[in-house]
Amino acid sequence: MTDRLVGCVQKEEGLVIPDDWPGYNLELFNYPEHYRGDIESVLIPHGVIMNRIECLARDILEEIGHHTLMVLCVLKGGYKFCSDLVDSIKSQSRSTNRQLTTRVEFIRLKSYLNDRSTEDLHIIGPEDLSIFKGKNVLIVEAIVDTGKTMKALLQHVKMFQPKAVKVAGLLVKRIPKGSETLPDYVGFVIPNRFVVGYALDYNEYFRDLNHICVISETGKQKYKV
Amino acid sequence: MASYLEILDDDQGHELSLFCVPKHYEEDLDSVIIPNGLIKDRTERLARDIVRDMGGHHIVALCVLKGGYKFFADLMDYIKALNQNSDKSVPLTVDFIRLKSYSNDQSTNCVKVIGGDELSALAGKDIVETGRTMETLLSLLNECNPKMVKVASLLVKRTPRSSGYRPDYIGFEVPDKFLVGYALDYNEYFRDLSHICILSDRAKEKYKV
Repeated sequence: MTDRLVGCVQKEEGLVIPDDWPGYNLELFNYPEHYRGDIESVLIPHGVIMNRIECLARDILEEIGHHTLMVLCVLKGGYKFCSDLVDSIKSQSRSTNRQLTTRVEFIRLKSYLNDRSTEDLHIIGPEDLSIFKGKNVLIVEAIVDTGKTMKALLQHVKMFQPKAVKVAGLLVKRIPKGSETLPDYVGFVIPNRFVVGYALDYNEYFRDLNHICVISETGKQKYKV
Repeated sequence: MASYLEILDDDQGHELSLFCVPKHYEEDLDSVIIPNGLIKDRTERLARDIVRDMGGHHIVALCVLKGGYKFFADLMDYIKALNQNSDKSVPLTVDFIRLKSYSNDQSTNCVKVIGGDELSALAGKDIVETGRTMETLLSLLNECNPKMVKVASLLVKRTPRSSGYRPDYIGFEVPDKFLVGYALDYNEYFRDLSHICILSDRAKEKYKV
């Protein structure tokens, strides 16, 4: 078992899901009827997401959950993860008698592809994040693959002179030109497949699905733009 | 044929540190094999299947204590939620029995049924345990002339000792390993663990009676 030295915390890699894992059969779970046939398999059941979030919340609370915690939620995909994570942080903080104030701000990132197919990230959200000055900030993102978003956000937030900035990513994708830096708090490390559910969409669909799933060919065609 | 989520024999489970586990059990467990959240999700589906099949008639849910209590409670919650949110619902009443096993001097194992109100026919009856406890319990229940009897089991173990009996609703099929947690105990310990875990050899000694 991992040795935990007092005051020194080992950075967890997150729950690793191997490339060759096919996922669970959808028929073993409850899911909205309107998605029948649109899903290949369940990669991460909702309950397991919640269990993992509880663990991340515990670590976050221990490391940066003092006085005030500023949470920056990356919309739209991050909304469920952020909501459940903050709930868990608050609930655990209540039972430790600690006085913790959490405040959530929302930010949206739009990427523009020009003809040279370079991506510029356009940040839409509160212009003035000076409330972050001198505080602990937690950036909450649903999925990290290239790491570009994470990098851009970190740069943006650091301009406002926070005390500390940490990143929580529910999913980290294993891709060839993957992010060099990992989030500080990682839920799951997943294969390079297109996943939907738990607020992650395919053309705005599947956000209303509780489990994180792999979309089927039928689904891709059906909800194509 | 009941569908089930198969946990393979060579499944090592997840690292304990990836989940919230009570501190007092950290040294006693090897890994988390079925996280509590997965149990809840599977149970939610079982509830839906049960209501679909048994809907229309008053359901008496019979809980076999003590190991069954957490599964029973969560399953009932999901059935109740379905009842509350649908146009048609069925009344649900609950009862509890305990199967206490003991051996007599002829060294045959007997199982005694304790409890149960409407099951007055069953209370105090001895059942001869031949590895077919569930089948025997069912035949006793049938004496009460129920309309329909179904069995829901969270776990079915893959073991050569199995009598071949399959419940009507199965959560997971698991390997023949020593599992604790989610109301499964080892000498009364580990019932307060929410995930199903593999018990370490060290702990088997530690909590030995």
